Amino acid sequence: MREGIRDRVAIVGVGCCRFGENWDQSPADMIVDAAYEAYQDAGIEEPQRQIDAVFTGSLYSQKGPHECSDALKLWKPVTMVSNYCATGTDAFRCAAMSIACGLYDSVLVVGYDKPKDRGVSGPSVMMNQVRDLPQTPAGWFALCAATYFEKYGAGREDLAKIAVKNHHNGTLAPKSFLKREITVKDVLEARLISWPFGLYDCAAQTDGAAAAVLTRSDLARRFRADPVLVKAVTVQAGPNPQKDPGNDFLSWKPTAWAAADAYRQAGISDPRAEIGVAQLHDCFTLTELLSYEDLGFCEKGSAKEHIASGVFELTGELPVNTDGGLKTFGHPTGATGVRMIYENVLQLQGRAGARQVKDARLALSHNIGGHPTACGIAILGKE
Amino acid sequence: MAGITSYGAYVPPTRLALATIDGRPPKEGEVGPERSVAWNDEDAITMGVAAAVECLRGLDRARVDAVFFASTTQPFREKQAAALVAKALDLRRDVATADHAGSLRAGLAALRAGFDAVAAGSARAVLIVASDCRLAAPGSGLERSFGDGAAAFLVSDADVVARFEGGFAVADELVDLWRSERDRFVHSWEERFVLQEGYAPNLVEAVRGLLERSGGAAGDFAKLALFAPDERSHAGAVRALRIERERVVDPLFGRLGNTGAAFAPMLLAAALETARPGERLLVAGYGDGADALALRATEHVEKLEPRRGVGWHLARRRSVRSYDRYLKARSLDSREWEGGGDPGLSATIHFRERDEDLALVGQRCRRCGAAQFPRQRVCESCFAKDAFEPLRLSDKIGRVVTYTFDFFFPTPDPPTIVTVTEVEGARIHMQLVNALPQQTRIGLPVEFSFRRIHQVGGRPNYYWKATPVPGGE
Repeated sequence: MREGIRDRVAIVGVGCCRFGENWDQSPADMIVDAAYEAYQDAGIEEPQRQIDAVFTGSLYSQKGPHECSDALKLWKPVTMVSNYCATGTDAFRCAAMSIACGLYDSVLVVGYDKPKDRGVSGPSVMMNQVRDLPQTPAGWFALCAATYFEKYGAGREDLAKIAVKNHHNGTLAPKSFLKREITVKDVLEARLISWPFGLYDCAAQTDGAAAAVLTRSDLARRFRADPVLVKAVTVQAGPNPQKDPGNDFLSWKPTAWAAADAYRQAGISDPRAEIGVAQLHDCFTLTELLSYEDLGFCEKGSAKEHIASGVFELTGELPVNTDGGLKTFGHPTGATGVRMIYENVLQLQGRAGARQVKDARLALSHNIGGHPTACGIAILGKE
Repeated sequence: MAGITSYGAYVPPTRLALATIDGRPPKEGEVGPERSVAWNDEDAITMGVAAAVECLRGLDRARVDAVFFASTTQPFREKQAAALVAKALDLRRDVATADHAGSLRAGLAALRAGFDAVAAGSARAVLIVASDCRLAAPGSGLERSFGDGAAAFLVSDADVVARFEGGFAVADELVDLWRSERDRFVHSWEERFVLQEGYAPNLVEAVRGLLERSGGAAGDFAKLALFAPDERSHAGAVRALRIERERVVDPLFGRLGNTGAAFAPMLLAAALETARPGERLLVAGYGDGADALALRATEHVEKLEPRRGVGWHLARRRSVRSYDRYLKARSLDSREWEGGGDPGLSATIHFRERDEDLALVGQRCRRCGAAQFPRQRVCESCFAKDAFEPLRLSDKIGRVVTYTFDFFFPTPDPPTIVTVTEVEGARIHMQLVNALPQQTRIGLPVEFSFRRIHQVGGRPNYYWKATPVPGGE
């Protein structure tokens, strides 16, 4: 049995720039905003002396790892990680591993992306091949809808409630992009993007950057008194769901597989009871719904009942996407996983303001990306 | 004796009502004069492949020794269409290929060349594909009379359904219809000049020449299929040749339209659909001269497995909802950005993936039997390495596993229906065409249709789409 790295690595500072259509900011501007907030949070005054290495994640960067080191003038070992929508979580994982293995003491993680510089309002429709068209993310993630609805009797109304919840939570997060309450009717009447997803079922498109400072657990109190510990971190590849002959289009395998690994690392046997707060990958409302089940928060097929009873709302038993999620923060791909860690750290430390949940000891964050073909999960906890 | 062993046809289901061109779209369910229109994912090559698939239905494709492709609108000025068609059909590699082009007579010329090749013994079976998708200037008269479609014939000396009895041709130099290297649309000289000095004298001369040579009369033929640019010209030729009305093959004006180099071949295919053993058939085409060919139906004509001919395709139709959508489908609308400038898809990658992309060939694992698409080195199911045999999927029936309607993907007719389709156990992420969202369901049986998937790089790029099995809905 693998030993894992539970409790060996601590987060001592987090930062996050304002997510949105950051027309007047370059990637470097956002990286500086996020990293310097994380420095301040960790009490770091001399990053050149106090940071040993940098792990950065971006999907769209044209400039590679130098973009981050040049922005921060951190002339350190720099690694750029790319793993679809799990890019941010994977950069965090690589940083944690580098500390756990003893290579570095303190490491900076920076996730960022700047899709709004491309001149298109939604995601790009890629035309770099002839097969698998249309390559639209909404079209990929919508492929579980017909099958799931037919088998479990859920429908667009159940999805709409997820969008309404996340919009509400987003109004309480100072750094979110969308700050507007919506209704189920708004969701159902919006123009269709890819059935069953209407406009409000889809995450916003934004620019953003988020950062975290990690260090050895035994050094954590040099930075701050309430460090958050890494309980588990994993990424999991899965078969292309469109080709996989064993795929039932009722769940996404990488999430289920990553969850099993993460819970084993963290020693979690009853995720619904043990996890106090979770940030799930709500690129589309159905992705969040399937994730409730794939992560074991409820039985397969039962999500709509738990949505209806408010389990995942801010005041519910297991609040999900307390800051409004990808829905209101948008999804600058490399930033998202680190933005979720930022939120979970604030929640565990009781610093989440109007959206603070009660008594969370363990916090989970989850990304799924590709077709989807990759999942990342990080579980954080108090000492 | 050389003759036609099998035939097939294709007409795009999309029809443009002439009233829609005039801004008065017919009411729901009303069908008036109309023309066939290739949609945005169709062109001369895709329609030709569809007709050829039909022609080869139930036959061993390995029999085909040669492919002749005839069109005035094959999308490439330089690059052969016949080789692409042969690839899409997954034919043998040692197949002779040639394009016949540049004239409305190209279809019959290719058919004649096929008969000659078989008669000469240089090929045992020749696939002839005639397909055209001509573009007329928006608002012009030609836009109303043109149609899009294709026909295909397998020519051999075995199981012949119609024996070739002889032909007659005249060549004539005339600038009546033309399209130069730089033109997008077909030009026409004055209509009356074209009719009086071009079409009528040439066609009549060719038919009379054939009759004289064979020592017969028009009355000896049960079916006469005559190309004509329009209904009036057709009626004039019928009168001049003194053909009795019941012997005339319906030229389908107001339903199909003039399908160019494919028109006379399609009328011949239509005639074969109802021909009885022993009947004689005459087909004549026009363009820079004229061709007339005589055939005689054999007892096999009624034994041929039923296939989708011209009649089947004409019955399957849907109206283009507005003239604007037609303009979009044919890329005749104004665009913010003119395409081009980018090198497009890598020709190197195209070369590596042509079996998958053009022939829809996947593979079957020799160890566990699992089918998969596209080709890969390690088996998805049993992880065996490099233990596969090729598996053609284009002629198999699949079923829809799941679907979505994508409103985001650019198309003249949103939404794009996207499926995961299972065929032989392999799963393919694939568009569904000729279907409406309300018809789309899990388990829907589908077949496969060769399509122009996009024009990245300013050239047509081809792949397959799923389409509901007719009658399987």
